[in-house]
Amino acid sequence: MIADPLEAAGEPAAAPDEAPRQRFILDDTGFDEVPAKYRRFYRKWRGPDDSLAPNEVICPVCSVVIRSTRELRPGDRVYCMPCMSRLVVTRAASGRLEALVAY
Amino acid sequence: MTQANHGAEPHRLEPEAFLEEVHSFEFWFQAVSGYLPGRPYGHAPETLDLPLEPRLRERLLTVLANYCVGERAALEGASGLVAIAPNHQAKIFLSTQVVDEGRHLEVLLHRMRELGVADPEAEVERRANHALVMFRRRLLELVASKDWEAAIFAQNVILEAMEFVVFQTHARRADPVTREILEGIVRDERRHIGFGENELGRRLKQAPHTRPRLAEIRRELDPLVLASFEETLAEVEVPRAERPELGRSYLAAVARLGFA
Repeated sequence: MIADPLEAAGEPAAAPDEAPRQRFILDDTGFDEVPAKYRRFYRKWRGPDDSLAPNEVICPVCSVVIRSTRELRPGDRVYCMPCMSRLVVTRAASGRLEALVAY
Repeated sequence: MTQANHGAEPHRLEPEAFLEEVHSFEFWFQAVSGYLPGRPYGHAPETLDLPLEPRLRERLLTVLANYCVGERAALEGASGLVAIAPNHQAKIFLSTQVVDEGRHLEVLLHRMRELGVADPEAEVERRANHALVMFRRRLLELVASKDWEAAIFAQNVILEAMEFVVFQTHARRADPVTREILEGIVRDERRHIGFGENELGRRLKQAPHTRPRLAEIRRELDPLVLASFEETLAEVEVPRAERPELGRSYLAAVARLGFA
């Protein structure tokens, strides 16, 4: 995964008091449980030695790592296609980004 | 290889478009195309099938027989649920689940044959765990009574969540062929548990009065599934100390639905 300093066309502008979001180019990690065009947006959690990048959260339903092309922030909507869940990003007490299921 | 195209970013889909996409047969077909080809009966032909000591083979057969009971319950349950599903999306998704469950049952029976069982059907009957058989009977009663919420809860939350965890745990300790078969099944189970939790979550939001009835179903069915999987975990020699950890993901799912 490579940080991309360029903003994508069509990206909503950041609020005036917010720093611009970091952008990411996603590579294919071999995740094969969704159609090919979506595969780079997901990866497997590799266990206790793994860590999340600023554009990643773990799906609380199926434990797959969900990836975005932009840095994630609280309030963002993400989807876990492998388990069909709609999620909202929040910041946990630990400071880490988490995803909550939005039924 | 990196790609600069953001066009397929799923998180930009509108919520309804996302649901339409992931419930579709087209999505299912393209998803399983990623991991099923080249694995007839669930594993690559070249995967080494190591001979098992008689004691381990015996234990594995009991475990596989009970996986067959669970998969048969899910196959019969999912097929019945197609008829009572409340909308086309759910019907189409459940039709893909029926295909998945049929495949699981087939590959597990085939694995028993690979291990030298001449009549797997009879072996499943002989080794079936009583609690799991009771669970299957009760699940099919719920489906027959057209109780959508209760049947989805029993099948796609209780049964599938337990299978999801048990199969993953067993896969880490299994012989190479069994491991590959279980890993393939787990990939499918991810969709099934997600469908169950999300469908039920949406229904409970619209009809919170169904919650006490589902809590009652949980009290009745939880012990049946837990007892059978406890036995399975003992058969695959998961240390007792690790077993509470296994229940955690199931308990987290029911807690998210408000049944803690």
